[in-house]
Amino acid sequence: MSQRIYITGLGVISAIGNNVPETLASLTQSKTGIGKIHHLTTRYKDEFLAGEIKLSNEQLADLVNDHNPDLNRNSYIAMLAAKEAVQNSGIDTADGLRTGVISSTTVAGMGKTELYYKELFEKDDHLSVLDTHDCGDSTERIADFLGNVDYVTTISTACSSAANAIMLGCRMIKNGLLDRAVVGGVDALSKFTFNGFNTLMILDKEWSKPFDENRKGLNLGEAAAFLVIEGEEALKKRNGKALAEIVGYANTNDAYHQTASSPEGYGAQMAIEQALQMSGLKPGDIDYINMHGTGTPNNDLSEGTATRAVFGDKVPRFSSTKAFTGHTLAAAAAIEAVISVLSIQNDMIFPNLNFTTPIAGLDLVPETSLVKTPVNTVLSNSFGFGGNCSSLIFKKVSA
Amino acid sequence: MDALIEKLKGQIIEQLNLAEVKPEEINPDSPLFGEGLGLDSIDALELIVLLEKHYGIKIEDPKDGKTIFQSVRTMAEYIKSQGKS
Amino acid sequence: MAKAYINGTGCISPQDSINSQWFFDPVTPPSGDYYNAKEPSYKEFIAPNLLRRMGRAIKMGVAGANLALQQAGATKVDAIITGTGLGCFEDSERFLLAMLNNNEQFLTPTSFIQSTHNTVGSQIALIMKCHDYNFTYVHRGFSFESTLQDALMLFSEGKESVLVGGIEEHTPNFVELNRRAHKFKTYDPAIPFWKSTTPGIQMSEGAAFFVLGKHKTERSMATIEGVQTLYKPKSSDVILKKLSAFLDSHGLSLAQIDVCLMGFSSDVNFDVHLKELLPEIEKETVAAHFKHLSGEYHTASAFALWTATKLIEKQELPEVLAISDRKPSQIRHVLIINQYLGINYSFTLVSKC
Repeated sequence: MSQRIYITGLGVISAIGNNVPETLASLTQSKTGIGKIHHLTTRYKDEFLAGEIKLSNEQLADLVNDHNPDLNRNSYIAMLAAKEAVQNSGIDTADGLRTGVISSTTVAGMGKTELYYKELFEKDDHLSVLDTHDCGDSTERIADFLGNVDYVTTISTACSSAANAIMLGCRMIKNGLLDRAVVGGVDALSKFTFNGFNTLMILDKEWSKPFDENRKGLNLGEAAAFLVIEGEEALKKRNGKALAEIVGYANTNDAYHQTASSPEGYGAQMAIEQALQMSGLKPGDIDYINMHGTGTPNNDLSEGTATRAVFGDKVPRFSSTKAFTGHTLAAAAAIEAVISVLSIQNDMIFPNLNFTTPIAGLDLVPETSLVKTPVNTVLSNSFGFGGNCSSLIFKKVSA
Repeated sequence: MDALIEKLKGQIIEQLNLAEVKPEEINPDSPLFGEGLGLDSIDALELIVLLEKHYGIKIEDPKDGKTIFQSVRTMAEYIKSQGKS
Repeated sequence: MAKAYINGTGCISPQDSINSQWFFDPVTPPSGDYYNAKEPSYKEFIAPNLLRRMGRAIKMGVAGANLALQQAGATKVDAIITGTGLGCFEDSERFLLAMLNNNEQFLTPTSFIQSTHNTVGSQIALIMKCHDYNFTYVHRGFSFESTLQDALMLFSEGKESVLVGGIEEHTPNFVELNRRAHKFKTYDPAIPFWKSTTPGIQMSEGAAFFVLGKHKTERSMATIEGVQTLYKPKSSDVILKKLSAFLDSHGLSLAQIDVCLMGFSSDVNFDVHLKELLPEIEKETVAAHFKHLSGEYHTASAFALWTATKLIEKQELPEVLAISDRKPSQIRHVLIINQYLGINYSFTLVSKC
């Protein structure tokens, strides 16, 4: 009953591109999307950098060709990325097979709620923001946009959210509940999240430097990324083409602190080990690790320690691509899954920008420029507040 | 100094929502973190905001909190040293 | 798919459900047009150094989980799965208003940290030192159903025990804004929910947790046989067809269901399909309802599951739940048909062990 799960479509919109080809171009040209803040309204506009999508809400509405006033930035970008993934895969949601939409988000409609919340107490004009504030809203917008969707749900496990959406999609197909699923995550920038991370004092005012001894924190970004995953039976039925296979996944909890990761990276280590175990691969079989690598002192130390614990002195080539996109929270694991598949498809490892000095005691050196090398297997890590740790393993489809 | 220490105790209780703690139970020389009041890294961030809100002192690097927030007395001394009491 | 044994429950609701002896008597009506959960004294459940930071959703969730674990006699589980439509709204609102009122200055991290939707699940993991599987579902009227579906999959995949729960809280501001948006109406006990001809619900809140096991224990009260969600079904006919297929996959027909708990919300627009279904249900079995006791919220189906478990345990359908005066002769199978906003529909099949 347990069938293999294939990725057959990719879709993404982020600071480094409005679609997959643009994203790949930025990655290969080492072109970061993080810069001065243009769209977000905040008093810190000139003080901090962010990885914004380079389109206004008006332009996004034009792209999805829907000017319904109830749509917000989260929904626009989710619809665009999900549509790209579906078109890329070539699936037809009306063909009678069971399609699920499994999305994830942390900020949901807050980006719009925060614009009107105070005004709501005085006048009725924007009371409808209450209906689009919750996390399920953008998921149902995707489902209605694609049409003929049999199943919807939404996950929110902070910065590991999309990894869990991908994992759930795999499990539902394997358990015979769905034939295929559009899985991923979305988080548009909001003043709320920006200020939240600022109170935690983990935002770097300059470009973030993942895995660098002198890293100061993260840059926030915004993105939506979705993948179409299909069970081998559904794929065979329509004679579709697989881009990569998902061979391992695991979800654990660090259970150490509400926000911080344990210094020894216990939860992260377990997630990596359990994902490896499921895939049947040995640590030495991994060609590339796409790290969570946020650039905060705490995350990179913890993740680095866990990486050392699993891989010893034979750590595979690795990088964090968050210095390209910024930390896109719920979307992070999905955009990094897309990047992992691009890595496999193109036999390329994308660089860890802004790195100069290894973390003392760990001596982990990421790839700092584009590497062309055969990439058959990729491990991708995602960790979040609340101790949520998830790891995914992708594999090239043998010809 | 003593007046500042007493004022700080009240502000700490309020900021950290330590409803169960009375000001007289806080020894100004006991450690705030770990044992003592048992505060953690989130509380340290709260105390940074306390200093900014009530005393106009901005701490840019959370690591600096380690020495400043050893005890209520070290906090008071830091505020004095900044000429803000 | 595997089934799940319900080995412990904990339910905080607008009723006295926190008392495990309570069996739908006495019943508390809403305060006008909305309900408040009856909250316990949290000091019994949560250490003071944790309590000082927690919003109500987190407190209700941790206490509900605690009750369920106590009843199951469990100190550890293999997975913690929570569902919540709005999450920790009180903390979200606190941070939001502080940000807007102080022009993004003097903000503190605590309410931001606690505003994250997975806070309840992660606080429970922290308290239990549970390093295993931890998931939070946040999809409207599917939030709790998704936790059950996940738990059933986990049992098929080899896990032995899972803690699931649904949590929702409201705030005075949120209630007020929804009132202004005409979402509520005043509760009228003279008009049964399934006969309502006007829009409006009674907004509510609560937390219900369940310790689920792959194997039967001496504490097992009932089993969850299956869960299915339906997104925007076009008509009551579609629901009925899906329902037949769902029951069929469990080797049952509607006639073998002893009680059908239906999620009438008293909003005439949201209840359209359920109203059409009611005669079909009553042809074959005894129909009952629950939202006049729980009120309406994203995870009200967790209260329904708690209710189903109680009915099976006591082998009795209290009059206050019944839609007609028919009585089931025995209670082996309870079917929950829920709807949220007329968009999210679900079936949950609960059986005697």
